Amino acid sequence: MKIDNPKIRNIGISAHIDSGKTTLTERILYYTKRIHAIHDVKGKDGVGATMDSMELEKERGITIASAATYCEWKGYEVNIIDTPGHVDFTIEVERSLRVLDGAILVLCAVGGVQSQSITVDRQMKRYKVPCIAFINKCDRSGANPFRVISQLKTKLGHNAVAMQIPIGLENEAEGVVDLVSMKALYFDGDNGEIVREVEIPQNLLEEAKAKREELIDAASVFSDELTDAILNESGITSELIYEALRKGTLQRKITPVYMGSAYKNKAIQPMLDGVNYLLPCPSDVENVAMDMDNNEELVVLDNDPEKPIVALAFKLEDGQYGQLTYVRVYQGTVAKGSTIVNIRNGKKVKVGRVVRMHADQMEDVESLQSGYIGALFGIECSSGDTFTSQGTNVTMISMYVPKPVISAAITTKDNKSQMAMAKALNRFCKEDPTFKTFVDPETNETIIEGMGELHLDIYVERMRREYGAEVTTGNPRVAYRETITQRADFNYTHKKQTGGSGQFARIAGFIEPVSDADFVFENKIFGGAIPTQFISACEKGFKQSMAKGPKLEFPITGVKVLINDGASHAVDSSDMAFQACARGAFKDAYLRAKPVIHEPIMKVVVETPTEFQGPVMGLLNQRRGMIIGSQDEDVMCVIESQVPLAEMFGFSTILRSATQGKAQFTMEFAIYRQVPQSIAEKITLEAAENKKSAA
Amino acid sequence: MLTNSSSLKREDNVIHLTYKDIVMIKKEMIYRNPLIKLGYENEDILQNGGFGAVLAHAGVGKTALLVQVALNAMLREQPVLHVSLNDAVSKVDVWYQELFHNIAANYDAAEIQDHWDKIQPYRFIMTFKVEGFSAPKLEERLTDLMEQNIFKPHTVIIDGFKFDEAGRGPLEQLKELARKYSMRIWFTVHTHRHIPQQENGLPLSFLHVTDLFDVIVQLAAKGDEVYIKSLKGKSTDSALNDLLLDPATMLIKDGK
Repeated sequence: MKIDNPKIRNIGISAHIDSGKTTLTERILYYTKRIHAIHDVKGKDGVGATMDSMELEKERGITIASAATYCEWKGYEVNIIDTPGHVDFTIEVERSLRVLDGAILVLCAVGGVQSQSITVDRQMKRYKVPCIAFINKCDRSGANPFRVISQLKTKLGHNAVAMQIPIGLENEAEGVVDLVSMKALYFDGDNGEIVREVEIPQNLLEEAKAKREELIDAASVFSDELTDAILNESGITSELIYEALRKGTLQRKITPVYMGSAYKNKAIQPMLDGVNYLLPCPSDVENVAMDMDNNEELVVLDNDPEKPIVALAFKLEDGQYGQLTYVRVYQGTVAKGSTIVNIRNGKKVKVGRVVRMHADQMEDVESLQSGYIGALFGIECSSGDTFTSQGTNVTMISMYVPKPVISAAITTKDNKSQMAMAKALNRFCKEDPTFKTFVDPETNETIIEGMGELHLDIYVERMRREYGAEVTTGNPRVAYRETITQRADFNYTHKKQTGGSGQFARIAGFIEPVSDADFVFENKIFGGAIPTQFISACEKGFKQSMAKGPKLEFPITGVKVLINDGASHAVDSSDMAFQACARGAFKDAYLRAKPVIHEPIMKVVVETPTEFQGPVMGLLNQRRGMIIGSQDEDVMCVIESQVPLAEMFGFSTILRSATQGKAQFTMEFAIYRQVPQSIAEKITLEAAENKKSAA
Repeated sequence: MLTNSSSLKREDNVIHLTYKDIVMIKKEMIYRNPLIKLGYENEDILQNGGFGAVLAHAGVGKTALLVQVALNAMLREQPVLHVSLNDAVSKVDVWYQELFHNIAANYDAAEIQDHWDKIQPYRFIMTFKVEGFSAPKLEERLTDLMEQNIFKPHTVIIDGFKFDEAGRGPLEQLKELARKYSMRIWFTVHTHRHIPQQENGLPLSFLHVTDLFDVIVQLAAKGDEVYIKSLKGKSTDSALNDLLLDPATMLIKDGK
């Protein structure tokens, strides 16, 4: 039986940091009666918004982990994923978007389309997530929703159309005019819960008519019936308009724009109506998986609860009852007591408790049908694992995971903290694929790696608060790499005769730079100069050398090794001898191949009021930054630059003080580039000192 | 690159290149100014304070041609300020990357990246809204950059200036700016099909400022080909007008 689930919405709320996503979610939960009181993000009442369930999030006023929750609005079941706005946590945003069917793009009525909105929009495009926009903070001074709509068009290329016009802005924001029903909506009661629908005020009537015309005009592209109705000048019903808009929205060809103020409880309910009318239900979206039995061929999943299960674990959390695994079911039904298979390791798992989440509270349910988002208890898995019924061998497409660019050493005070830290690190690595940890074999230090300073900071804080681990961190270290710039030949003999059986091996060939791979090994030995059974030992030896450069001890990338000659001894040659010989040969050739250091360069985008443009450029320039360009936009200016990560530590504080806190920036990894000579010398010195102190 | 006399072996009458010489040749990338073939001796074409213009209808290749002029300057380590009044910074950057890849098509990916990394610091992109752009505003931005020693342009490209609306005043101010800071400025000039041309090929809407310009070239699409015609400056003699732009790569190709 195929059930149609047109009344389910799996949506995300994505936006720039501080544009009010969490406040908006809080209001949605209030109006849908999932919570009975409203708390602010930075709660004066000490409670904090419901979706910011982590203590740390409440304190910093930002959302880190995306909590999932579900609510009901006018008979529709809405699953909401609240996503973090800071770019350091982009993996969370990407993961959320993977499991969503639609999204609300929240924009600030004052700030408009900011740099993070551009990143989030790019991610939405990548996962083809249809969206509606909500222009928040219409009560703030300087609010101008129509400027934001024009930015949506010019900066993000959206075909944005206003669904409403505001009744008053800034201090006078009272409500909105709905351009579909042509009614004025006011929001009464202590928390704006009573929607009062009245006639449009006379002074807004003309504007409303003009904007409605624009709306209908844009919608008519997607519906012949609506076009006919326009031509006949009659029968333009609300249903017809919504139907056309929905068609366009699902194709991502139109972006309906709602507006209001979450903080002042204005116009949230009409936006929720928009979610019901305009965003897709699970059957509207085509989801594909990779067939493992058929050369990873793409297969389209059927949103049918009777078919074999395909579910994706998109987020893990450590709750008080053990691991909580958030899943999205794409096909079939995950029920209590059923057996599912983790495709990654082939392990069969019995489903225990099935719950639906409401931030940090939960309710038990019997099953989760295809199209639903919920959570499972007591299932051991990693984030991004696919679960299926036995006999179904498909995996959801792996998500794009960027490599870490920064690392720091962490040490604990005592044994108890050591245990707690190990537990915490294990959990974080499972939850977040961009966060990695390992023990440096030489210094015995635990190293954590991530996507930025804040990213690591947050995890260290979480270790302290949630796990009670007393940890201290060393200075953040940049993930430098080494590579060679020219070809160098080698002809190396490894000979050892110290009693017992000796060791003998000779390898000849060359190393040269290669741009599109980390390591390439080519065997050009003919005539058995090196017996075939030792070739793999040679490769292994060279590969081992790549882990750490002989001089600076950074990982080496971009090297091709070609061997074309060698010699062996009938008795004294062994795997070990050839491995040692390869290491020796590499070391010998490496220094002649002109090694250089590469460093991660970040794309840094600063948004600043125009009057601070000069000082901001100066700041970037001082940091070895290369300014790509500046974009003047009325009172604001956007500066795009590329800056080495090593120079970006503590930049947020400096930027704040240089611009009276009015500028903000985002940073993401761009490229690895060669370090200038003077800096390379400094790094070499530091590396030598570190080596000395470690010894 | 043969400065070392020991690498010359006269008895064979053959020049032997040492390994070092080969590396150096490989590293050096030469790209001539596409307009120099119109008969100019100097790669800059324009003097300090000089104005140049590229006229064409929409979509013929004005920006592409001026980006090549800019790339030529960047390869000569002359800083270029690209002011765009139409496009975002990222879009302008794509123009440069695309054309540079076309120019450097004979190099492998790593070498192209290497060269690009070297010349990219010689370019600065500024974008303004058309209505927000003026000579005083440009000067304000330039002083910001020059005072802090961040960037001092040698060549400026202004793409998207509205000649038909601006009048003569703003251009005179820009001319003054170009003289003051020893820059040369290239403009794109959008010509309209419905506006008749004068005998000398110049559109009516451009006549009021022609005297401010030292070099004016026109791009004209004929069938599948784009011709570059000199209207002011050197090589206005029609016999020499044989420069062609390859529509696929937007690079100059030798004339027929």
